[in-house]
Amino acid sequence: MRISFLIHNAYGIGGTIRTTSTLAGTLAEQHDVEIVSVFRHREEPVLAPGGKVRLRHLVDLRRGGPGYEGDDPEHGRPAVVFPAAEGRHGQYSALTDRRIAEHLRRLDCDVVVGTRPGLNIHIARQARRGPVRVGQEHLTLGTHSERLKRVLRAHYPRLDAVTTVTEADARTYRRLMRLPGVRVEAVPNGVPVPAVAPADGSGKWVIAAGRLAPVKRYDVLVRAFALVVAERPDWRLRIYGAGAERARLRALIEKLGLYNHVYLMGPANPLEAEWVKGSIGAVTSSLESFGMTIVEAMRCGLPVVATDCPHGPGEIITDGTDGLLVPVGRTEAIAAGLLRLIGDDELRRRMGAAALASSARFDPAAVAARYESLFAGLRTRGGLRGGLHRTRGALLSTAFQAKDRGRSALRKVRAA
Amino acid sequence: MTPTQPTVPERAGDRPFTAAAPPAPTTTSEECVIVSAPPLSAGAGNPSADCIADSAGGLTFDLDAPGRAADAHWSAALVLRPRGGEEDEEVRLPLTPNGTGRLRAVLPSTVALPEGRWDVHLACGEEPPRRLLPGLADLRSLVDRRPGPSTSPLAVRIPYATKHGNLSLRSWQRAPHAEAGDVLVEPEGITVRGTLYRVEDPGAWLAGAVVEARCRRAGPTVTVPLTAAEGQDFTFALPFAGLCAEWRGGPQVWDLWLRGPEGTPARLARILDDVADKKHVFVYPARDVTAPHAPAQAGPYYTADNDLSVRVVERPPAAGR
Repeated sequence: MRISFLIHNAYGIGGTIRTTSTLAGTLAEQHDVEIVSVFRHREEPVLAPGGKVRLRHLVDLRRGGPGYEGDDPEHGRPAVVFPAAEGRHGQYSALTDRRIAEHLRRLDCDVVVGTRPGLNIHIARQARRGPVRVGQEHLTLGTHSERLKRVLRAHYPRLDAVTTVTEADARTYRRLMRLPGVRVEAVPNGVPVPAVAPADGSGKWVIAAGRLAPVKRYDVLVRAFALVVAERPDWRLRIYGAGAERARLRALIEKLGLYNHVYLMGPANPLEAEWVKGSIGAVTSSLESFGMTIVEAMRCGLPVVATDCPHGPGEIITDGTDGLLVPVGRTEAIAAGLLRLIGDDELRRRMGAAALASSARFDPAAVAARYESLFAGLRTRGGLRGGLHRTRGALLSTAFQAKDRGRSALRKVRAA
Repeated sequence: MTPTQPTVPERAGDRPFTAAAPPAPTTTSEECVIVSAPPLSAGAGNPSADCIADSAGGLTFDLDAPGRAADAHWSAALVLRPRGGEEDEEVRLPLTPNGTGRLRAVLPSTVALPEGRWDVHLACGEEPPRRLLPGLADLRSLVDRRPGPSTSPLAVRIPYATKHGNLSLRSWQRAPHAEAGDVLVEPEGITVRGTLYRVEDPGAWLAGAVVEARCRRAGPTVTVPLTAAEGQDFTFALPFAGLCAEWRGGPQVWDLWLRGPEGTPARLARILDDVADKKHVFVYPARDVTAPHAPAQAGPYYTADNDLSVRVVERPPAAGR
């Protein structure tokens, strides 16, 4: 198969870029794979896909380079096709509208995959007839604004498939969006096998990692760890990552007198070398679209104590077998979970081994195989049925747009 | 189908290091945090070296053979150069095939590497040595390191990524060595627990030991006794009042030393783990002190060399309120 990914910026750093790079690299072992990056702001990608993946860009933003297009007047005019309700709209322009449209009109592939809502909409509206159209949701439907949801509902009927990273989000899509004939399927993110040997469970360290952002609730983790230290002062906590919450967390650590037990380590990359220094992973988020760090820790042989928040953790961890699920925001419950693993070496090692085994299902090869069978199924559907589906999708799409236009017109009247 | 392993290791990104600035830095560290791989834009194209540490202080470097792999190793060497030092001080480690198609160099703890920062280069034949980039660093055996009894100098080498994204080593060589453990910051002073290494008889050494706070500006030394000593472990309390008595404004730094009955005193330091640069990770609160000269603030911190010091500064107008 010839597979073409469309991504915001393959040259940056982020979850979607990492995942796409991993997936494309794995698919490229069997298929002809390209990644088309709307933007390119530096010479070399940080998270380079495997050697066989072709990578190119549509708009050159390399400052000081001969091809720099950031000053193009067309790039100064707002995007029309890329939806205004999408978070990245400000970075898109009349220039990106045109370049993406040209790219999608000339697609030479069997499957085209969009990696964020705005690009999925480009694909739904502009991809030439022929290639299977897949839109990936790397976040969740629930985290999008009502405005964006309406836009997605209007255009997604013209996709062949929407993929989510959790079953929970796939259910939400099926429930809230009317997408007849569109396959909605959950395919988790792939996490490669770590290049270091797994943890042996002997280190008296709990490890957490992620952006220091409010949604990660590291404040709850630090408070929970105060309860852990009261019982087991020989155990310590390392939190890896950078972010706006750093100063607040630092203040909390000082206020609770935990500066000998809780350390803000700063960003680390790759993380696998850091996970294996600990024996337990901790995730206390209030929301996880997927839960990449949980899988990363498990692939390093760590049992993870995670809050049972929407959407990912409950689909990754089997509570009591390869990790522990605890209620969101409850410091006592999180501390109890940590202390249960801290206090029982045998249980901790057993769960660590189970985590190592069960997380193998997130191997990029396994994930790529699921995409392969999805793509293959959609391709055989092609022909007449696909044509019918497209026509129906286009009709539905028009109907929804009219309806939503009516709704927003009504709203404007009300607001006036 | 097997999972792809990226041939180029993932690199730390252009995420800014956002550590809160320390109150009044007396020394500035050129280096960034524990990032076991380089930030971007660093020496693109240079080869990278994976690194494994053993608990004795030895390091093993593995790298992909440069150029024509078949004969590259005949002349290849890993060259360590001291930062700001002379070329004749460099340490050359032969690179030999490690059996899996890569080249390996070993830096045993017994090879003396004077204290400081050492830049890691790859030398091949007649070509000028090139800086190596950090690959994967497996430093788990350094975490909570507790060296055994010996009187030879304690060797500590921690690989790290410089802020330019190159591979360097931080080296310490100490005998005796006083490792700082938990530091408790109380309103009237600090209480520090530590462990003594590399003396013949730690018990006897500690029995006659005191802690000296030496003012970095020429001048006084404040001496306090140990409040507890058992085997290699010791505890002392250092009141802020003594450090603030003569203070006349401006930042003033006191370096802490453990002084035995005879021989070399030991600088209090924290070096027995995997964190090359403690300053922004091991952060302690400062306390308000009523000094004779003016309202002051005092607190412990780790220097750019991971030595433990106490800093006295003027109290910021709205500090802590």
